Amino acid sequence: MLETGQLIDQKYKILSQIGKGGMSVVYMAINEKANKTWAIKEVRKDGVLDFESVKQGLIVETEMLKNLKHNNLPSIVDVIDDKDSFLIVMDYIEGNPLNKLIEESGAQPQDMVIKCAKQLCDVLGYLHSRTPAIIYRDMKPANIMLKPDGNVVLIDFGTAREYKEKNIADTTCLGTVGYAAPEQFGGQGQTDARTDIYCLGATLYHLVTGVNPSEPPYEILPICQVNPSLSKGLEKIICKCCERNPNDRYQSCEELMFDLEHYDEIDDVYRGKQKKKLRRIVFFFILSIIFSVVGIALRIVKYNQSSAAYAMKIDEALKSNSYESKMNSYLDAIKISGQNGKKDSYLGLIQTFKENDYVFTVEEQKILVKAISENKESILEDPNGYVEICFELAKLFWYYYDYGNVENNQITKMKSAIEWFDDVQKYATNDYENLVMANVYGSIGKFYRDITINTVEANDKGIYKELFVNMNQLLDFVIEREENSEIVILELLEMIRNSLQQYASKFRGDGITKQEMLDIYQRIEKELELITPTTDKTQSMKKNTSQYMQDTKDVIEIVFSKEGVE
Amino acid sequence: MEYLIEGATDIGNVKGVNQDSFMGKVIDTNQGKVAFAILCDGMGGLKFGEIASASVVQAYNEWLEHNFKYLSEWQIQEDDIRSSMTNLAIQFNEKIKAYGRERGISIGTTLTAILMLSDKYYIVHVGDTRIYEIDQNICQLTKDQTLVQREIDMGRLTYEQAKTDPRSSILLQCIGASDTVYPDFITGTTRDNCTYLLCSDGFRHKLSDEEIGFYLQPGNLLNTVMIEDSLKNLIELNKQRQETDNITAIVIRTYN
Repeated sequence: MLETGQLIDQKYKILSQIGKGGMSVVYMAINEKANKTWAIKEVRKDGVLDFESVKQGLIVETEMLKNLKHNNLPSIVDVIDDKDSFLIVMDYIEGNPLNKLIEESGAQPQDMVIKCAKQLCDVLGYLHSRTPAIIYRDMKPANIMLKPDGNVVLIDFGTAREYKEKNIADTTCLGTVGYAAPEQFGGQGQTDARTDIYCLGATLYHLVTGVNPSEPPYEILPICQVNPSLSKGLEKIICKCCERNPNDRYQSCEELMFDLEHYDEIDDVYRGKQKKKLRRIVFFFILSIIFSVVGIALRIVKYNQSSAAYAMKIDEALKSNSYESKMNSYLDAIKISGQNGKKDSYLGLIQTFKENDYVFTVEEQKILVKAISENKESILEDPNGYVEICFELAKLFWYYYDYGNVENNQITKMKSAIEWFDDVQKYATNDYENLVMANVYGSIGKFYRDITINTVEANDKGIYKELFVNMNQLLDFVIEREENSEIVILELLEMIRNSLQQYASKFRGDGITKQEMLDIYQRIEKELELITPTTDKTQSMKKNTSQYMQDTKDVIEIVFSKEGVE
Repeated sequence: MEYLIEGATDIGNVKGVNQDSFMGKVIDTNQGKVAFAILCDGMGGLKFGEIASASVVQAYNEWLEHNFKYLSEWQIQEDDIRSSMTNLAIQFNEKIKAYGRERGISIGTTLTAILMLSDKYYIVHVGDTRIYEIDQNICQLTKDQTLVQREIDMGRLTYEQAKTDPRSSILLQCIGASDTVYPDFITGTTRDNCTYLLCSDGFRHKLSDEEIGFYLQPGNLLNTVMIEDSLKNLIELNKQRQETDNITAIVIRTYN
């Protein structure tokens, strides 16, 4: 226990106790020389059963936190290892925790909640993008301080990670575990960025409705059922954050942020739809009569006119130098009536997004997928065109999609591509040249999508062999046809290398021989040599793969040596 | 209606403290004999779970001896019983929460209590302690307020999956750790020549309903010594089957 008036480290004078946690006490302190107020968190050594084991974790964690800099995080300035306690000196945050605010005044104004949401989303995105990614795991109103200036700060970072794991060996109460996402209870997959997204959703739900999700009905209802005056857009966002299956949630804070910034547009769409419904019925009834008469006559003339306009826009896009105007020209071309089924504008967009910076961003994804799905029917009038679009889009996802710097970006890329490869299979005729390739891509994507489930259910016999065959085939295809794109080749080589290392023993279990594995290993080695990277990005990709080659080979050797026998 | 009451508890194979608290008694009132039993399963580190469960048991004992006896001097209404039994639970949720907050810890307890008056029973219930009614059949009167039970109700989990679900020890609510507590209040007709069993989750993890029903047939329980013996045998059986929790059970045996 620190005493009021006590001087710590000849610098900080303890003023008062301001909070108490399970194993720590927080004090307000002042550095009299600098006349600045600090918060000091004291972890009492006698308050923790086995302090020595906790200490190491604490040191690592506080060291890591010292390096974090973000507006919505308190900064840690000093860590002092006293003889009875461990002291963490950090920013003193003036204000109240949000749980106190809810207790006092119930549901919070929507605008304020949206503002908090953006800041929290931003800080989570920042944490997730550290290397290694930091998963907060304990987002709840009690851990969010609202400052007098209306900004929020995420607190309670001083506890070692061991304390964040939900310990459920003993009976516990939902109220104490917070808004734990389903996967946080163990046995249901790993916790990752998407776990934080779930807890953020639950927190927003509690803030905006005043209803604690850990109380009856123990469900996160659509918020408009609780209060019909709330935004439909926000409702959609919260529902998506709190999906039970992590794959159905936002996959990254960037995706979530995009929607938070546009929540009122989602709203407008809804409101607009309601009003328009009635007007439309009347309007279309009259129109249909007029059109049926006039339409036929005009149609031929019109088609020729719009067709020319379309050609002009495409031409404009091709000749344009800037990314913006290229994109706008293609989008304009799609909007020309009667021309929304033509494939060139979509393929042009795909090309533009790819070549701009070789990154397919979430924002670009929304624009493109929206354009395609809105006009799907028209595009499908020429099934071959649609198939071509799907194939190119799928590859764009597979190789270039980037939803933020999250650990399993690679797998998300593949997963997002699956549905488009599926559409290729669905609509392509048997003689489509890329059909086999689409099948191979699709199977590999599905392998990665299902692998966790299959291993848990022990259904994984044989699927590794299939993966191995598919990888070989894909390598043939890609080398044969796409040698001009170094990103594609490098991505592929890394994927194969990675799976050789990760699944070596599984491949062996499925009957792949050592020679077969070494063959493909040597091919990677050879192809890697042949590439001379032309950009910084590809250079670092090549370097990254090269540095793990020896490890990969070692793993293969070990798996086939005696010790490697499972 | 006449009642035999007996209970038994055991710390179990693993734990360092017994956090279960219980009490059972028959009192005389103007309305005739009244049987009352309560079982609380505490949670929280060190001694704190025990403090939580014992304080709730004590509070209900005082309520029974004072408030309830006072109420029963007049024609007592079901609504009075309901409100006074549930309000006490709500009150204690606040008290224990405040106690934990002061110390920076989170503690709590389940609460299951049954009151038998003339031919009616009244149950107040928070958590996963169960009450069974046993004669030829065994029937569970309370519903577990657990995450897993809720998943079953919502059709997201089968009964078989639930047995191995890692979340089986998570309660939806408990006294002391919920912002607001919503106790179940259950009433029914007390049957003659019947066994009413209150048991903590430690008592029934390793036993099937059939086994419980078999050992606690009213015909086997003719006096409190026989009840105590049967309960102790079942507790032993639990321990042999490697139950790790505290184990507690109370029986009310009715006869005329």
